[in-house]
Amino acid sequence: MTSAGEAITTPRRTTARVRRWHISEHKLAPLVLVTPALLVIVGLRIVPLILGAQYSLTGDGARNGMFVGLGNYRALAGDPVFRTAIKNVGLLFVALPVAVAVPGILATFLFLKVPGHRFYRSVYFFPVVLSPVIIGAIFNILLSYDGPLNQGLGKLGIGPVDWLGNSHVAIFSVIGVHIWATFGMALVIFMAGFSTLDQSLLDAARCDGANLPQTIRHVVVPELSRTIQFVFVTTMIGMLTGMFGLVYVMTAGGPGGATYLPEFYVWVTQGQMNSPALASAASMVLFVLMLVVGLAQIRLIKRVTKEV
Amino acid sequence: MRERGFGRWVVAVPMCLLALATIYPMLFTLNVAMKSRREYVLNQFSLADHLTAANIADAWNTSGLGRYTFNSVVVTLGAVTLLLLLGSMAGFAFSQLTFWGRKWLFLVCLGALMIPFQVIMVPFFRVLGQTGLLDTHLGLILAYTGQFLPFTIFLMTSFYSRIPAEVIEAARVDGSTTLGVYRRIMLPLGRPALLSVGILNALFCWNDVLISLLVMQSEQNRTLMVGVTALRGQYSDNIPLFAGGVLVAALPVIAIYLFFQRQITDGVTAGSTKG
Repeated sequence: MTSAGEAITTPRRTTARVRRWHISEHKLAPLVLVTPALLVIVGLRIVPLILGAQYSLTGDGARNGMFVGLGNYRALAGDPVFRTAIKNVGLLFVALPVAVAVPGILATFLFLKVPGHRFYRSVYFFPVVLSPVIIGAIFNILLSYDGPLNQGLGKLGIGPVDWLGNSHVAIFSVIGVHIWATFGMALVIFMAGFSTLDQSLLDAARCDGANLPQTIRHVVVPELSRTIQFVFVTTMIGMLTGMFGLVYVMTAGGPGGATYLPEFYVWVTQGQMNSPALASAASMVLFVLMLVVGLAQIRLIKRVTKEV
Repeated sequence: MRERGFGRWVVAVPMCLLALATIYPMLFTLNVAMKSRREYVLNQFSLADHLTAANIADAWNTSGLGRYTFNSVVVTLGAVTLLLLLGSMAGFAFSQLTFWGRKWLFLVCLGALMIPFQVIMVPFFRVLGQTGLLDTHLGLILAYTGQFLPFTIFLMTSFYSRIPAEVIEAARVDGSTTLGVYRRIMLPLGRPALLSVGILNALFCWNDVLISLLVMQSEQNRTLMVGVTALRGQYSDNIPLFAGGVLVAALPVIAIYLFFQRQITDGVTAGSTKG
């Protein structure tokens, strides 16, 4: 309880205190809002990254914790399984243009509003939301040696192909299924890009009598260059870091290590082979690969931070 | 620009074929799941004799999928709650407030987008082991939160920057504190964004297998997707039962997709065009 006299003599002090408190709340609140997220990101992403980099320079087993310099990296270079994994990354790069062109062309068609474009969009996108494990399991059934695909091919007079058991074929099966499962994602991103396309440019092209291929080449591709670039980067990163579930379920890295990818190598080396330091080194190689691809993404990030 | 006549058909035929190629594997699996083992061996393509969920029920009852589903639900709900809370707080600050180091801190968050889980897997495993969080629900919830928070912040920032600054100024004039603005304006107005981002994160967590395989060591703590990978060995000689188990695990996602398609694609495209 404050007496009336006090209330009369102290109004100035009260407002001053309120204002000062208000200013500090103003400054403090953003930090209160951001700190928990930053703690999680630094603690669960950035610190482990540094630990991993340091760990990749130490030994496994009997030499646990000892500094071995680049020994693990030399071991990787000499490991035929890891070399296959890197060779398979090369195949991913070869498959990349297909994985971008197919959704790009489809998005163009959808943008031109072929009948039923909404329906197509929903159908094409659907596999994106399914887990790679589910998709891998479905294709395990479809691609098994006595499975439906080979039976169907048999009716056409084409001999059975061991889609998952032949070491020359299996990696292409896995990459093919990955593209099948994810092209809807790129498609939706392309369509979002199309929605920002300036309609008057298309009208102008039509007035000038451009046909569809000309319009695509001279209007759509230059206008969507940023979207195309974004799709290239995200598709490649998706291939480098999103195929574990498929490999795990469809081939478990086999036959004979033919379907290893760096991420699968990391997992096997850490778990089954119990060589965490070697796994860390493989992780770092994967990270560098990602960074090379992701450098293109920095451009996009710059654009966002300009906005903020 | 609308293609007419012949051009339309040139386009429609491949699109139809591709739609068929997209949906057929799922329909085939559904059909297989309705068949008996004998029916499947005799003819893989024939339609099932009668509609029955017997295989789906069998798979559910004999494989422990119930326990795995429970684990997946707990972990997904926990992670999504944390992600939305932390993501919306940070997203609000980054999009609408000015403070020291904002640009740099945001860059740190976005930079973490480029660190895939595979790269930090080994140290992550060790730290979880040392803190006793390995093979616990909380450990997996934290792993998912760390994994998907950068993306969540990125999306929430881009969604929240669409809310006009005047709305916030008006609330301030009315005497609201910053945290009050968050609670009374950003959370209610951001509901569509929270729904989109929440569903997207729920799908990520639900569908994950790598992180779950690493964190959950014991069989009773397995999540549903890890359980599905074990089905193959369990039912290797009974494909219809295997298909039934796969369908059980896919059904929640199919349902979510049918209900929330627009929110999912909204989230995905917000990450590409606004970025």
